[in-house]
Parts: sequence; C-alpha cells; structure tokens
Amino acid sequence: MKGRAAILAGALLCWAAASYSAASYRSPFPAPSELRAPAGGAGGDMLALALGARRVFADLWFVRLMQYYGTREVKEVSQAPGHEGHVHGVDEHGHHHCDHGKDYGKGSYPLFLPMARHILDMDPQFTAAGLYGAACLAFNMERGEEAEELLRHGLRYSPKEWKYLSVLAAVGYSKAENPAAVAETIAPLLKEPDCPVMLKQLAAFLNKKAGNYAAAAAIYADIAATSRDEFYVKNARRELEKFSGGGYTGGQ
Amino acid sequence: MTGTLRLLLAVALNSFLESVRSRFFTMFAVFAFTAVYASVLAGVMAVDQEARLLTDFGLLLTELTALAYLLFGASTALLKEAETKTIYLVFSRPVPRWAYLAGKICGSLLTAALMLAAMAVIHLSVLAFRGFGLPPGYAWVLAGTFLKLAVIVSFAYFVSLFSTSAVSTLVISSIMWTLGHFASEARFLAEKAEGFKGALLGFFLHLIPNLQLFNARDAAGAAGALPASVLLPAAGWTLASYLGGLWLLSRKEF
Repeated sequence: MKGRAAILAGALLCWAAASYSAASYRSPFPAPSELRAPAGGAGGDMLALALGARRVFADLWFVRLMQYYGTREVKEVSQAPGHEGHVHGVDEHGHHHCDHGKDYGKGSYPLFLPMARHILDMDPQFTAAGLYGAACLAFNMERGEEAEELLRHGLRYSPKEWKYLSVLAAVGYSKAENPAAVAETIAPLLKEPDCPVMLKQLAAFLNKKAGNYAAAAAIYADIAATSRDEFYVKNARRELEKFSGGGYTGGQ
Repeated sequence: MTGTLRLLLAVALNSFLESVRSRFFTMFAVFAFTAVYASVLAGVMAVDQEARLLTDFGLLLTELTALAYLLFGASTALLKEAETKTIYLVFSRPVPRWAYLAGKICGSLLTAALMLAAMAVIHLSVLAFRGFGLPPGYAWVLAGTFLKLAVIVSFAYFVSLFSTSAVSTLVISSIMWTLGHFASEARFLAEKAEGFKGALLGFFLHLIPNLQLFNARDAAGAAGALPASVLLPAAGWTLASYLGGLWLLSRKEF
C-alpha cells in the first residue's frame, strides 16, 4: 500500500518538476493575438499551431502568395516565339517594339501585403518570403510604402537581419529614382542562397540599364545556373545570348 | 538486479520485434510514396523554395507517421495482451510489473528510433534525388521529434491502463499532443487573463507537457539546436507517465 502511494507521489513529483523546469520557456514566435489571417485562413492557422507546424504552413502561405501574384491582373498575350507573356508596343510610325513585359507583375493585388505579412507572422525566420514580398511590392507594383511596412514588420522579429535593411535602403533609393544606387545596395544580397530570383533579375536589369554589362551578364549567368523558375531561366538565357552575340545595345 | 534488467530487455526486444513485424513496412511504403509525390508537387509549386518546402513537409510527415504508428501501438499493446491472456502468462513468471511496463515503453522507443532513422534515410534520398544536400539542423529536428514521441508514447501507455478502449486512448493522447503544441499560446493567454481565471488557467497549464520545447522542426537551421536543458522536462514527463502507469498497473489483478 505504501509502495503504491510512493509510486503515485513519485509520478506527481516528476510531472511537477518537468512542468517547473519548462515554465521559463518562451516561444520565439509572435503571440497568437498578432496573427492576422487573410482570406479565411484562420482554420489553417489553428491547425498550424495544433500540429506545431508553423514553418510548413508558412511555406503553404508562400505558395498561395505566389499563386495569387501569378494570377495576372494585367493581361499580356503575344504569339511571337520567345516573346510570350508580353505585348509589343506600336509607335506612331506603325513599327512594333518589344517592351519586354513592362507590365509584368503589375496590378493592384490588394491581398498581397496582408498575405506576405502573414507568412512572417507564421514564421519570422522565413527571410526569403519577406524579401520576395518587399521586392515585388516596391519594384514591380511600385508600392514602396507597403514594401517598407513589410520589411519593418520582418525587422520587428529579426532586428539584426541585414538583408531586410539592404532592401529597405534599396526601396529608399528606388523612391528617389536612383537605379544605380538600388543595384549597388542589393548587390551583397545576390550571393546569399535564399536571395529571391526576382531580386537577382532586378539587379541584372538595373546593371544593364546603367551600362554595367559585365555585372549584368554575371547575374544572368547565375540565374540560369541556379534558379528553378523556368520563366527567369529562359529570360536569363535569352539575355546571355544577346550578350554573347555582341548585339546588345542596351535597354532592349 | 541484472536478472531483472535482462527481463526488461527481453520485454523491450519482444515489444520492438512485434512492432516491426506488424504494419511497420506498410507505413514506410506509404511514407515513401507520399514523400516522392510531395516532392513532385513541391517542385511545381514552390519553385525557388523547393528545398525548404521539401524539407519541412518531409519532417512533418516523418513525425506524423511515427506518431500515428506509435500511438496505435501503445494504445493496443496492453489491451491486446490482456485479451490474448499473454499478460497472465507473463505475470505468472517472475517478471516484476515495473520491468514489464518499462520494457513495453522501451520497445516503443526503440521502434520510434528505428522509424525516424529509416524515414530520415528515405527523406534525405528524396532531397538528394532533387539535388539538395543535408538541411541544417536536421539531426536536432529528429532528436526533438524523438523526445516528443517519448513523452507522448509513455503518456499513451498511462492512459491505456485506465481507458476502456484503444480508441479512447488514441483520442486522449492525440488531444494531449495537440494541447502540448498549444502550451506556449495558452501560457500567453494565461498571462493576459487576470485574477482567478488567470490562476486557474496557469494551474491547468502545468498539467500539459509543453511539446514546443522540443519542436526544433519549427525553428530549423542553427537556431533549431536543442539546449541540453530540454532533457530534464522530457525525462520528467516520460518518467511521470511511466510511474502513473505503474501505479495503475499495480492496482490491477492479474
């Protein structure tokens, strides 16, 4: 009888000791009150917390964000081989000019910022998503304020993240219409393994525009070699062909 | 003492082999198929984040597969032995109850270790096939998953000793697993709540093991390294469930 009581007391003591030793633990993630689930995603958030799977659900939100952004608001259709996905402008003389998708990625996408913010709420360490979101907002959609808001949101949880700070500076230069400074500011980011390919593409484009063809070609070569996004790879190869053909006159 | 330890090992080995011989390999096949299928899907959907998505999905699948199998095993093991009268045979020999229960839990933990290792090999093979290397902090994630499984499997053995069916054991253990992941959020709510409500919530929080402590999967990479201090709560909760189970087992007539 005494033995049984001792076993029970031991069980309670062990449980209490374990709970006491775990009491000082504080979650590194944002508090649940800070989760703002857009587009009816609250159920998914509950599941993420219940399964202890914030990272996986942040990944899913990132895929959703890419799908949302991938659904074009500005339709561009061309049948010309190598020029699919963007229109050709016609000047006053009736000549066709390839504008290489000047409206690519443009649109209002009202849910873009809340969705991108939500990814960082779910997993504040998902820097690539924060950079991708901010770059799309600032450089594709020309919504610098929203990009800054997203970057500051990311910096709240990762105050020492230099990548956010670099893009924040680049957004500032972009607003000041200083493309060379933008390219220079984001240059260190390009060597990072989690650098979004669209930032590389932007850097290549800005270098090309500024006449730094060698730097632009190096970035395009890197995109062609490392990216898994077919759109960017095809575009990079096309640009590299132009460089190697020596027919680059800039701006095209 | 060495004789009793040998008995414990025999029970553990028997329990482990029984697990391996049953639906074990079907689970692996299901996991391998799902992992390969997810990798194809992830490649299409995640583009430049394929490695991250593949890693995260694989690790979650590994944990859930092992959890489902081990909880099922822990919920049915003692009931099955009682139904087949095996437990009477065991206790008619000089097998102490503490060694029997410890052997059962150790057998489940051995199964957990083998399952995690085998599924990690499958997962890493899929990653290598897609051209990716070993993700950072991978071993820490597996270690954390093992600690979580140790806590919840011993708890399932404890529950199986007072619940009326395997289903209720499964349900109660799964609820505990879910609550364990909510512990940090529940603590936040308890700290926000004032007075009696806050105190009551705070007290109930101590009844739930905080599984987020071991959740290196959500903080993958270098940040996911588990501190040595997590071993104490893991051992405490596992031992508490074992002792609770032993207390219940000692009250039973065999």
